[in-house]
This record gives sequence, structure tokens and C-alpha cells, in this order.
Amino acid sequence: MRSIVGEIVNHAEGVTVMDTEASIEHMSRGTVRYVDALLVVLEPYYRSMETAGRTVPLARGLGIERVYGIANKLRSPQDAEAVEAYCRNHGLELIAKIPFDENVVEADRTGRAVIDYDATSPIVEELSQTADFLLREVRVNGDRAGGD
Amino acid sequence: MKIAISGKGGSGKTTISATLIRLIARRGLSVLAIDGDPNPNLIQALGVGPGVEAESVPRSVVERREDETGATRHVLTRSIADIVSQYGMKAPDGVTVLVGTKVDHAGAG
Repeated sequence: MRSIVGEIVNHAEGVTVMDTEASIEHMSRGTVRYVDALLVVLEPYYRSMETAGRTVPLARGLGIERVYGIANKLRSPQDAEAVEAYCRNHGLELIAKIPFDENVVEADRTGRAVIDYDATSPIVEELSQTADFLLREVRVNGDRAGGD
Repeated sequence: MKIAISGKGGSGKTTISATLIRLIARRGLSVLAIDGDPNPNLIQALGVGPGVEAESVPRSVVERREDETGATRHVLTRSIADIVSQYGMKAPDGVTVLVGTKVDHAGAG
């Protein structure tokens, strides 16, 4: 499967977004070598942050220059501070801080996309900024293919 | 632009992937979404109605070839356009989704 995904990503034109296997330890060079940016999702608890932290050197070892953190399910300012501190100490640039969003649970329950369930959901609002950031920083400045 | 998203199971990785994909598509770009997770549920998170099963891209689209130095590499046996038109599913906002083969550990890596 990994080689299939890797080869498809390699040949695809336009914007390609890949939801990968759970952890980068399971990713092979073949899957991610063509990737312009890796987004690492982390939750504000120790094991989740540690997993994300281990991803950073592995991703750089695989030749991915842009590795960004996305904090999810933040329930308090303390949660946000914990993730910010972790990322700062581990060289991970945090580009999104998504609050815990009940709409995700509700959308899941009915098998809908959260953006269709409620486009004003906090997760949608925050990721809207992230989409703009990626298009500006990665697509325009860092695209290996030189286009989209 | 090629982006990969990783995270522990239960971290919300798939919801985040799906939402970002829809948002990028709404900015007028053509987006190919690839579900490389062994338990694919990206199509549901993208808003392709519940109960819709995607056809996975079969292993046969990739072939191992040996080059003159004896090193093996993977090559596509069909064009990407072919693969996308046969196995791609349409999701809202003009997104196309491809789902990796569900269970196949043989020759992984």
C-alpha cells in the first residue's frame, strides 16, 4: 500500500493531501519523499506530544523540510500553553490551535463532514487560517514542482 | 503542493485532513485527497454520504522493477489520469478521493 500511495503522490498534479498512517514510524521513505510539508497533529497530553516530537527528526531524516504542528482538542488556556511549550522546545512550528469542538462529535454521529454540519464551527474557522497559511507558505514559496 | 498529515489514532487527524481539503478546494484549487490510512474513513469525513464504500486502488497499479544496478524501485503501470478516473471518488467542493488498499502488508516499504 505504501508504495502505491507514494507513487500516486509522486505523479499527481495539483494539490495533493494525504491522510497518512497513524505514526511516521510506519511511514517509509517511498510514501513521503515527495511531500512538500508534513502536518503533525498533537493533542495536549504527554504521549501525544511525545509521538509528535519523535516525528520531527524522523521527517527531517526523510528529507521533508517543512514540518508543522497542529494542536487539536484544546480545552483550556493551559492546554494551549502546554502544546506551545512542547513545540517550542522541540523545534516544531505550531500553525494551528484548534479548540475542542463539540460539532466534530455531532458531525461524526450523523456521518457528515463537520464543514457541512456547521461551517462556522471553531475547527473550520481555525483551519481556514491554516489553509491560507499553507497556500501562502508552501504552495507559493516551497513547491518543489514549481507550480501547484 | 503535496501535503501529508500524521498523528496518533484518535487525534482527529482524519477530521483535520478532510476539513483542510475542503477549505483548500473552496479556494478554487483542484485537490486530490489520498487516504493512506489502513482503516480508511477519509471519504466519510469529507462528506461523501454515510454507507458509501470506496473502491481501493489495487496493488497492481504499481510494479517493482529492477534497474541496471540491481536496485528495485516502484513504477506506476498506468497513468495517474487513468487511476484517478477509474478509482477516484467525487467528494463535495470538487474534491477527488483515492483510497489506498486496505490490508496489504506484503512488500510494504
